[in-house]
Amino acid sequence: MADSVEDLDSLFDYRRVKPITILDDDGDDEVKEVANDDEDWLLPPPKDSSESLKQLGEDSAIKELRLRKQELKALTRKESLFQSVESPKRESDSVHAALDSLAEQPSKPHHVRAKIVISIQDKDEVKQFRVYKDEKFERLFKRYADKVKLGIENLVFMFDGDKINPTATPDGLGMDDEDIIEVLVKKS
Amino acid sequence: MSGGGIARGRLAEERKSWRKNHPHGFVAKPDNASDGSLDLMVWKCIIPGKPGTDWEGGYFPLTLHFSEDYPSKPPKCKFPQGFFHPNVYPSGTVCLSILNEDYGWRPAITVKQILVGIQDLLDQPNPADPAQTDGYQLFVQDPVEYRRRVRQQAKLYPPTL
Repeated sequence: MADSVEDLDSLFDYRRVKPITILDDDGDDEVKEVANDDEDWLLPPPKDSSESLKQLGEDSAIKELRLRKQELKALTRKESLFQSVESPKRESDSVHAALDSLAEQPSKPHHVRAKIVISIQDKDEVKQFRVYKDEKFERLFKRYADKVKLGIENLVFMFDGDKINPTATPDGLGMDDEDIIEVLVKKS
Repeated sequence: MSGGGIARGRLAEERKSWRKNHPHGFVAKPDNASDGSLDLMVWKCIIPGKPGTDWEGGYFPLTLHFSEDYPSKPPKCKFPQGFFHPNVYPSGTVCLSILNEDYGWRPAITVKQILVGIQDLLDQPNPADPAQTDGYQLFVQDPVEYRRRVRQQAKLYPPTL
């Protein structure tokens, strides 16, 4: 079980650095052209790796989970646009569905849901919080507001200069471990 | 190409460390290219005016243009055209010793140091190196009007909430 989780992580990471992968593909093409003259030992490797990748993706539940994840992401985006009442429910449903599909043997969902450490910085200090990557920010914002004893309505949370929608998720914003969220206190 | 590789590699590192550690109120992120990908060579930044100065309350947009020769050469740093400050050219380009490749620039200077350096410059202009007539003349001849203009400009750039 743990192995397949690791596989999932690395697959996901590769997907996120796609621009670099594209560059590698270009390199591979060049190699292939050269390899046609000298196919003994140069040709197999690229073929091999692409095949094994394919197998990995098709044979295991990983591919399915990844598709689910993409679907989830799309859902999250839709949500922040429409703020509909129904879609949060649908989202959590498909989260569970995705988790269930991976958990063939009984394993607790929190083993599967990736966590992330997020730094929230005000003008004086940085506080760190551990949250699920697919968890809506509203819960984190509430935790922060409680901790600093301020009304959540007086706080504005920003990432990279943009206000964060409470229905967005760390995954949706492409956040990494220890990325900083800036908090501003509104002057009342 | 190797030069560009070095520039992009360094900029990717700069971006990585910025995301985990930067001064409050500052923003620095690679621009979105027309195809939706990130353009590491152009960064959109926000410099907050220092609290307790006439610049306080302003969140000033600054664009960093990196060349393929970065970090051997410094980025060009631009405020909006016509930005009011003695050491900003009418084009918006910032004139600052650490941003001059023949003078104060060193490849080890980070994006964070550049932005903090420019924040310092806002309230501490260098009258020995004027870059625009308007800001320079008011600064040396009419401090009262100069401060009024600075506060007026700060109001033009409220936080983007």
